[in-house]
Amino acid sequence: MPSPTESMLREQYGTPEQQRDSVTVGMWIFLATEVMFFGGLFAAFAVYHMYFTRGFSEGSAEMNIVLGSINTAVLLTSSLTMALAIYHAAAGRLVRTYWLLLLTAFIGLVFLAIKFTEYYQHYQEHKAPGMWFESNSPYASAIELFFVFYFIMTGLHALHMTIGIALVVIFAIRTAAGWFSASYHTPLEALGLYWHFVDIVWIYLFAIFYIVGLHK
Amino acid sequence: MSAPSFRPKTYVSVYGVLLALVLITVLVGYVDLGWGTEFVAVTIATIKASLVAMFFMHALAEKRLVWLVIAGALVWFLILVTLTMGDYITRSWLPFPGK
Repeated sequence: MPSPTESMLREQYGTPEQQRDSVTVGMWIFLATEVMFFGGLFAAFAVYHMYFTRGFSEGSAEMNIVLGSINTAVLLTSSLTMALAIYHAAAGRLVRTYWLLLLTAFIGLVFLAIKFTEYYQHYQEHKAPGMWFESNSPYASAIELFFVFYFIMTGLHALHMTIGIALVVIFAIRTAAGWFSASYHTPLEALGLYWHFVDIVWIYLFAIFYIVGLHK
Repeated sequence: MSAPSFRPKTYVSVYGVLLALVLITVLVGYVDLGWGTEFVAVTIATIKASLVAMFFMHALAEKRLVWLVIAGALVWFLILVTLTMGDYITRSWLPFPGK
């Protein structure tokens, strides 16, 4: 009977090492395409921020910095639990990996709950772009544009979070089902790379949306 | 064949530094630096992103091929930003009609 490591080795690879390297590089290349995906939005935001500096600054003043900061800390915490889950997987302590993955998914859900609380607040304050949007500012149109960027970019990030949470739960179940071991847990590492990348995107979203209008 | 990894102590330390940087970002926001606020916020965000990539994503311990992919992503993003801003920033410089 082949060892667990050998049975996980796909036929196109010569060694487990080669298989692991392929998965890792492949995942990083996928993340590079994600950089271009979000990068286009960040570049567009930078251009309009340059053109409508005052309006975007006033839009940023509408952000809830308390919820935003807490959410940043929440997401960083989930990155820590994800990193620890993979650390324990590498050491063969898969029960800990299982619980840490479930904890990571739960913290991810907390992030989304806080995010949608913020969305609801913006909606109630008539800051959601569209026919309900209201503002007395002379820069009302620019503020509305700020919120278009805000909802699209944080919305796409929330979509990535939702996909991530679903994947983390699936991988927790697979961990419990014995798919992984100390010698084979490469899929968990790829999952971790995705999760941390989504964290990095949020770090930048927090910087561009929440900070500029704080002093107002 | 074991993957690169750090000790839990390292992860927790990095996590502590990241939380401190979040606090610094928020405090900087309360000071009116004009354009500087955005610059400082994005600079701190880049430090945070680097820490996450280096330690949580253990890029620091990866092979050079992974570094090449990261460098490629950054270079292409810089091309995107440079060409876009090079256009929009300079549009008002020349008195072309119809701009």
